[in-house]
Amino acid sequence: MSTTEERIAAQKRYRAAKAGTDTVDERLGSSKFLTSVLDKIFPDHWSFMVGEIAMDSLIVLIVTGIYLALFYVPSSKEVVYAPTSGHVYIPLVGQKMSEAYESVINLSFNVRFGLIMRQAHHWAALIFLAAVFFHMARIFFTGAFRKPREINWIIGLLLWQIVALEGFTGYSLPDDLLSGTGLRVIYSIIESIPFVGTWLVYALWGGRFPGTSLIPRLFVVHEFLFPLLIIGLLTAHLMILWHQKHTDFPGPGKTETNIRGSRIWPQYALKAGGLMMLVSSVIFLLAGFVQINPVWIYGPYQPYTVSAGAQPDWYLGWQDGAVRLWPHWEFRSFGHEIANPFFPGLLLPGILLSIMFAWPWIDKKIYKDYKAHNLLDRPRDKPFRTGVGAAAVTLFSLLTMASGTDIIANNLHVSYEAIVVALDYLVIIGPVVAFIIAYKACQRLQEADFHPIQRPVGGVIYRTPDGGYHTVGDVHHGPSHDAPADTSASHGAGDNGDGGAGSGSERSVSAPAAGD
Amino acid sequence: MIMRLIKKLRSNRLLIGPAVLFGVALVAFSVLTLTQSTAKAQEALVSTNPNDIAAGAVLYSEHCQSCHGYEGEGGVVSGAPSLVDKGAAAADFYLTTGRMPLNAANNEALRHHTIFTPTQIRQLVAYINALPQITGKGGSGPTIPTVEPLCSNQGTLAAQSEKGCVTLSEGQQLFSINCAECHQAAGSGNILSNGNVIPSLNNASLTQVAEAPLVGPKPMPIFTELSNAQISAIARYVVYLHHAPNPGGFAIGRIGPVAEGFVAILGGFCLLWFAARMIGNRG
Repeated sequence: MSTTEERIAAQKRYRAAKAGTDTVDERLGSSKFLTSVLDKIFPDHWSFMVGEIAMDSLIVLIVTGIYLALFYVPSSKEVVYAPTSGHVYIPLVGQKMSEAYESVINLSFNVRFGLIMRQAHHWAALIFLAAVFFHMARIFFTGAFRKPREINWIIGLLLWQIVALEGFTGYSLPDDLLSGTGLRVIYSIIESIPFVGTWLVYALWGGRFPGTSLIPRLFVVHEFLFPLLIIGLLTAHLMILWHQKHTDFPGPGKTETNIRGSRIWPQYALKAGGLMMLVSSVIFLLAGFVQINPVWIYGPYQPYTVSAGAQPDWYLGWQDGAVRLWPHWEFRSFGHEIANPFFPGLLLPGILLSIMFAWPWIDKKIYKDYKAHNLLDRPRDKPFRTGVGAAAVTLFSLLTMASGTDIIANNLHVSYEAIVVALDYLVIIGPVVAFIIAYKACQRLQEADFHPIQRPVGGVIYRTPDGGYHTVGDVHHGPSHDAPADTSASHGAGDNGDGGAGSGSERSVSAPAAGD
Repeated sequence: MIMRLIKKLRSNRLLIGPAVLFGVALVAFSVLTLTQSTAKAQEALVSTNPNDIAAGAVLYSEHCQSCHGYEGEGGVVSGAPSLVDKGAAAADFYLTTGRMPLNAANNEALRHHTIFTPTQIRQLVAYINALPQITGKGGSGPTIPTVEPLCSNQGTLAAQSEKGCVTLSEGQQLFSINCAECHQAAGSGNILSNGNVIPSLNNASLTQVAEAPLVGPKPMPIFTELSNAQISAIARYVVYLHHAPNPGGFAIGRIGPVAEGFVAILGGFCLLWFAARMIGNRG
């Protein structure tokens, strides 16, 4: 239908474009790489995108963090706040404060975009950690940590810990009343380590609390050491994910050795890009409309002052809650005392984290399953693991709640002691009850085999000889039915190259309880 | 142009009613504000007028006597304290904040709507102020403090060397040393053990904040070491906080990281979680 001129023009355009890509390709050899990268297939279940929320928050954190670093002064040198130009926060005028705190006040009041960047940085950190917790729970409940992904589970846990520490150092940098109080708590917890605590804490702080060396050190740790570790570990996290390929839920046409989903280009890139825009918009909307950490109200840190309602940011709340709930035990023997904060501050988190680090191997022992898996478990099919996860989530939530006992008691008009006593019992009973409920729920769900809030959708409609209709089964779970005709063709072929570590079995659906 | 507008308005009879109403409202408003400010100015003084004392005695016998005793000597059964040596500051503080009268003797004295008019409070304060003379027991409590004014050139270092006035900076420092431990850095309040509530200072007036450290409404202690200038600085700072410049958006109660965590998880993360659900495959 096209004329000769049009065809010639099209050929010209093609040749011009090819010449352009060839110029790059001949020098960098990038086409082969790009072809394989852009054709990579990711399964697109929504829960796999929550990890991306964390990654996108990290990008916002890096961008805003660079801006803040341009104006922050990491110095404990004492200055008198007396700005001669620009906006002045009147109640601080004439007060002695560290240069660091003064720079944060100026950053908030006198630097263009300073306050919104600081607020975005803080909100992004809180959302980052929320996404990390959700992502971690998703991995745990679906058994995505099983062979061959144990290393990535460990890297993920390390990332969580470093990100939380990074958050804490950031919380401490402004040197306001709240951050000073937080540092004092951490100082005491480190000091309580048996035998080495005092030496360690002197080495970290460069002397007694508060001292003048800590703020510059925290700056180096917050801006260089931890970000480098986070970016390094995240790169490893993603490269391993890339190499091992993403896991997926069992379903029609999904096997241990194939992957169904969207190609990176264009579908997945657009989805991920869209999510990234949403993450940054939500963070900046919060930063613009909701105040976070008004350091000017807290005032500069003085070791002899403290404010009521001093809490860490929420992601460290569980450790603070443990310190608040722990009984007043102290052990003395052979002339040496193990101070109280050691048990809730370090021993308890240490034990919990050790169990989490060891979980892939504990899981192998429990289920006697040493094989590699690329298909995920449905949580209901592993009641014990789901029960343990539910118990852990309950424990973490209760401990986090314990961090805000005073705020909760005041706002709900409940007696403070009642809340503490209730939580003291609940942290013991709650996880057990959660385990039992989750375990039983899993068993019931296995029997019913459909989601309690979602009736099975009829997949196949039968017409009876006398003209009636009825539906049978559920296409999502029934191995006896073929994949519905409307699903897109499997992209698995292109991704089968190194086959993951799959066993190559012919099972198409791994859910044992499926079927009708 | 303006004439044409007036003509147009005159022709529009619908607007006459609202205009009259607006005028009446304006007059009423100005009368009310003017009379109220004069009432406030009187309130700061402790009356020694015998008429006020007599009126106060009547009010006392109606509302206070059943617990505090015939002439403020305190109740043996109710456990109510003697009022003879409490002074005008205590009477004014407890009555203007609505802490007194209590519904029942064992209730906690918390901020409440006051049941007395400012005049009645002035009369009661006058009576309680006169109690040491009436009973002949002597002793005297703190009188209603006169809050010193703020220095004129706030925001510069020069303000600190001014005499006879207080600075917000002084107030902020004294507040974090003496008050923030319980009332929280922003004065948002908190809770103590044994069900003792630490009230928020968001509704406290200048005089009330200045009276509290003199009176020591339990469990708050009496701050004997604070001078009148220091107390004035704290009161000025607390009242400043009510309308302080508050950049950065909605303050979510100013109760610190717990509220921020709630907003981050329920507002921020949950929104993004739903976004991920929308974008991703929910099969």
